[in-house]
Amino acid sequence: MADAATRPVVVVIGVGNSLRHDDAAGLEAVRRLRGRGCDAEIALCEHEGETLGLLERWQNARAVVLVDAIHSGATPGTIHRLDASAEPIGARLPGSSSTHALGVGEAIELARELRRLPARVVLYGVEGRNFEAGSGLSPEVAATIDALADAVHGEARSLAAATAAWP
Amino acid sequence: MSDPDGQGGRRRVIRTDYLARVEGEGAMYVRLEGREVAEVKLRIYEPPRFFEALLRGRAFTEAPDITARICGICPVAYQMSSVRAMEDACGVSIDTGPLRDLRRLLYCGEWIESHSLHVYMLHAPDFLGYAGAVEMAREHRGIVEQGLQMKKAGNAVMTLVGGREVHPINVRVGGFYRAPSRSQLRTLVEPLQRARETALETVRWAAGLPFPDARLEPELLALSDPAAYPIDRGRIVSDRGLDIAPDEFDEHIVEEHVEHSTALHARLRARGTYLTGPLARYALASQALAAPARDAAREAGLGAVCRNPFQSIVVRAVELVHACDEALEIIDAYEEPDAPAVEVTPRRGVGHGATEAPRGLLYHRYEIDEDGTILDARIVPPTSQNQLAIEEDLRAVVEGGLDLPDEKLSLRCEQAIRNHDPCISCATHFLKLTVDRG
Repeated sequence: MADAATRPVVVVIGVGNSLRHDDAAGLEAVRRLRGRGCDAEIALCEHEGETLGLLERWQNARAVVLVDAIHSGATPGTIHRLDASAEPIGARLPGSSSTHALGVGEAIELARELRRLPARVVLYGVEGRNFEAGSGLSPEVAATIDALADAVHGEARSLAAATAAWP
Repeated sequence: MSDPDGQGGRRRVIRTDYLARVEGEGAMYVRLEGREVAEVKLRIYEPPRFFEALLRGRAFTEAPDITARICGICPVAYQMSSVRAMEDACGVSIDTGPLRDLRRLLYCGEWIESHSLHVYMLHAPDFLGYAGAVEMAREHRGIVEQGLQMKKAGNAVMTLVGGREVHPINVRVGGFYRAPSRSQLRTLVEPLQRARETALETVRWAAGLPFPDARLEPELLALSDPAAYPIDRGRIVSDRGLDIAPDEFDEHIVEEHVEHSTALHARLRARGTYLTGPLARYALASQALAAPARDAAREAGLGAVCRNPFQSIVVRAVELVHACDEALEIIDAYEEPDAPAVEVTPRRGVGHGATEAPRGLLYHRYEIDEDGTILDARIVPPTSQNQLAIEEDLRAVVEGGLDLPDEKLSLRCEQAIRNHDPCISCATHFLKLTVDRG
């Protein structure tokens, strides 16, 4: 996959905290994708810590796919897909797992206000069960990582194809 | 929020189950009986000493990398307190020369990142009347862009000296894995010069914000560095005469469990509540600020001591000027070290490390055995030290706002908490807010 410096068309960002159990799901999905290796036009990165740094991560990209853990009350392991390209997702993101001052949804909306958001923004969230301190995913979350990685990869490819021809 | 009996009832509860714009998530609960404030609780749920337990049995060299994971906002603070403690345990001191300068430079980068995040994105919306940074950005895009530009300068320092922008990987006991070259550091000059200019503008802008009257009473406690503004070393001093070495921390400061929080509350054995952080550092060491920061503070009318917690936004801006200025000075004088680290040989013993995280004093204590295995670890973050002071501040805010409707009182309480920039992710996990006047 592309190095972030080669100005990829699509950036896939796993967001989370590796020491908060299921909060690591997004990071784990990106690691899984990296292990598979593919596609020059897709860059992969993992983002831990405060979320404003995301604005730097996706600058220059035409599309971004964010992968994060979500706590919304759904069955653990459920995969959510939200398209944030055109409208705010705040109301549809009831339980961001972020333990930081600004959540992923706020980083997206802040970027939108500042006109620093890629043209296409898709968020994949996997429902977590355990966000306590500690490492290792819950079994039902771990069991979905392959499917999550597949979905994210498919999304990134279709975004790359859709945006590649743009001037 | 709830008011089950209406405002005419005797009991009133104000609660917020999710506190916006603090680092992490937490809760506040205030219960009024008539016009008496019966209970004020800042609820902090700490992972039960997870990291201290994780450290036991690990090598002494692993402490900086493990503790850096405690907080995504202030990983350098954790690294710096841990390396100081380990070096102390092993009888090594890195108090002069380029390695110490690099450590201070890295720490300046973290202060710049953390303070610019708080000043612009978390605190400014309270003064300008917005729910948050996103809403503020709609009408004050320039302010938000300034914040991002400052933060980027801090990021650049973190990335170059720390190896990457979050959870730096270049810090080790004894120094660094790689020391940057002089020419590499020179690339930071231009962004830091711009950041310093922006920080000076920020002080002027922040000084003009409307500040409610408020005064914090607790003892102010900070490190005291004989030669510099307190960042990476020093004795622990207070405005009421405390003057101790970091290894005397336990004799003077006790941590207690309280029922409503799994985080420990720290207090001075002799006098109780104290406050660490920007207001304390400024009160105890403003004479050590770099000249441009000192001048900016004077022009902003801060005086020698500032006890109004709302004005902490001005003090953070002054510290931003200082951090940029000191970073530039270090870069200007930098000579590459002969080696990126000094050798540290483990020995059986106990070590203490205290440094100034952006939010205040961060104390680490480790006991290691002769081969460097960690036998015991103790970490006291600034937010758990400040928790009693924040609760006292909240009580005063509620007492002064008894006639406000719940929604306004709740907002004022949230603002009071944000004044202290609590890092809930260090001290805690979830935080939620409740006012009860049933």
